[in-house]
Amino acid sequence: MNRPVLVRREQVLRGGQPRSFAIGLVVALTIGIVLLLGAGHDPIAVYERMFVAALGDPDSWSVTLNRAVPLGLAGLAVAIAGSMGLWNIGAEGQILAGAMMAAGVARIGEGWPGPVLVTAILVGGVVGGSLWALGPAVARSQIGVNEILTTLMLNEVALRLVQWLIHGPWKDPDSFNFPLAPMIPDHGRLPVLFGRAHVGVLIALVVIILFAIAVNRTAWGFELRVAGSSGATARYAGLSLERKTATVLVMAGGVAGLAGGIELAGTADRLTEGISNGFGYAGIIVAALALMRPSGVAAVALLFGAVQIGGQSIQTMGVSSSVSTILQALILFGAIGAGVLSRYQIRLIPGDPGGNEAKAETS
Amino acid sequence: MNEASLIGLCAATVSFGSLLYLAALGEMVSEKAGILNLGVEGMMAMGAVTGFMTALEFGNPWLALAVAVMAGALTALLHGWFTVVLGAEQVVSGLSLTILGLGLAAYLGKNAVGRPPGAVLAPVDWPVLSDIRWIGPVLFQQSPMVYLSVLVGVVVWFILSRTRTGLALRAAGESASTADAAGHSVVGLRLAAVAVGGGLAGASGAYLTLSLTPQWAEGITAGRGWIAVALVIFGAWKPGRVALGALLFGGTLALKTRLQTFGVDFSPILLSMLPYLLTIGVLVAISIRARNRPSPAPASLGIAYRREER
Repeated sequence: MNRPVLVRREQVLRGGQPRSFAIGLVVALTIGIVLLLGAGHDPIAVYERMFVAALGDPDSWSVTLNRAVPLGLAGLAVAIAGSMGLWNIGAEGQILAGAMMAAGVARIGEGWPGPVLVTAILVGGVVGGSLWALGPAVARSQIGVNEILTTLMLNEVALRLVQWLIHGPWKDPDSFNFPLAPMIPDHGRLPVLFGRAHVGVLIALVVIILFAIAVNRTAWGFELRVAGSSGATARYAGLSLERKTATVLVMAGGVAGLAGGIELAGTADRLTEGISNGFGYAGIIVAALALMRPSGVAAVALLFGAVQIGGQSIQTMGVSSSVSTILQALILFGAIGAGVLSRYQIRLIPGDPGGNEAKAETS
Repeated sequence: MNEASLIGLCAATVSFGSLLYLAALGEMVSEKAGILNLGVEGMMAMGAVTGFMTALEFGNPWLALAVAVMAGALTALLHGWFTVVLGAEQVVSGLSLTILGLGLAAYLGKNAVGRPPGAVLAPVDWPVLSDIRWIGPVLFQQSPMVYLSVLVGVVVWFILSRTRTGLALRAAGESASTADAAGHSVVGLRLAAVAVGGGLAGASGAYLTLSLTPQWAEGITAGRGWIAVALVIFGAWKPGRVALGALLFGGTLALKTRLQTFGVDFSPILLSMLPYLLTIGVLVAISIRARNRPSPAPASLGIAYRREER
């Protein structure tokens, strides 16, 4: 019986991650065509509408850029932890926590002047996100509690905390009994750059660049990457991993929390349970596509922003907006496949279930 | 608080508990073989929507259940292909599976939203037993899915702890290279476990749309897939303990809509945080105890196995 076996290529295929990414995109769009045809839509028209709505003119660019902000920051929050070999699955909850803290600040600082209030809201976001990551950070660094599961669980807790706030203590008395938090004051909103793009775009870009430099070009970042590739090597070199683990996770939380603050003051204008909108989970895909490198996050986030904004626009054509959700996941699967196949090839090997030939062939 | 509402609470605890138990058992089987699948929510949604739509089309709830199980297993095999065969990161692949499953389910079920069910899995009325006071309505007037979940629990326990297949499966999760050296196909075992996990998640989803809330709406799974993931940890990867956890967590789901009936002045939303907080507590406890005794988690959980790299 022939069995498929992965065999390491002697030479990794050229093109690297951009190539895998492009393949992923093609795979996703192709499967998308099948899905759209299956539901009786014209795929070309749908894709054209998506493209125009996301990148057709400066106005649509401004909306896409806004959307890339939380995706990029969430991606960064995952990638920072990822460069040390840690999994921050909690960006979703950290965004919510950041938004909660930011909304709290907006409630207190209603009378403050604009620039002060805006700054305070954003700082509030960072603090909220950091605090939300603090528990998993301490638990992981001090007693080795798996951060994948704690950060994941806290996402659901944060969601319910927001629900509780907007159903209860923070419910707007003027909302006719709808569970809605009040709008933040007008002077607490982020200044606009062009179209609908707000200053959060610049802030996110600066933060991403700073972290890319910190991780790639500083001694701190080098230690981080050493710890990520081999904890044993790092300990041998005398690096204190406990402290670093905690710092990195808290920083990651702060970055995601900043996204929460920016969403509150930039696009949502009030605390809602949908404010994190799956950005935290999409951020994991963004970071994975960027191979956990902060420097790659911005580009991937921009593309995902375009896919999401494009996806919203096709609802008017009677096409479910879930097409864009599907495309995002398929891009990742396509890219993973392409990435693995650039390093390995599949060979059919005749053999017994023990398959010792396979070993002989690769050794 | 009267007797009827208390019985209602207990019955709902059993229903919700079974719903969670099915999905958690699936996740447990997958994790026992060493594959963490964070796609439960997506697989559940796929089972929920395909089951509901099959019932709409053919009017047969059992056929619908079978289709849901198949849909869940097929969705899971995508994760299996990427993580087991290609050795991709399990966390990333699993979360993408959740996103893909939720998206696909929403896409497929667009025209089924708000429609009355084509068929439901009607509660079983056990002769004599269902008339017993208290016990009857709580245990013997339930959906067939409840009895199925108990049956599956026993079967999973038996296979895992009493058969050679189960031993091989656990070996694949504890030490893949040892299992391989012993002549077992790690890839085959892991793929099978992932598929079983998906099938059970699909069944759990079908329980939702064919019995508990017989309708389809986007987001109907409402985070219950995450509770299933939590349950596996809470139950320390043991079918019996997972069952107790399922009743406990199912109880919080059942209590959520009933707090007011009981005149308890506590936010149902805050109550629904409990499963997650308890699970974090268990995680911390496991880590503290791990200094003295081994963690109950399968040792190779989350680690890809490539033969030439062992």
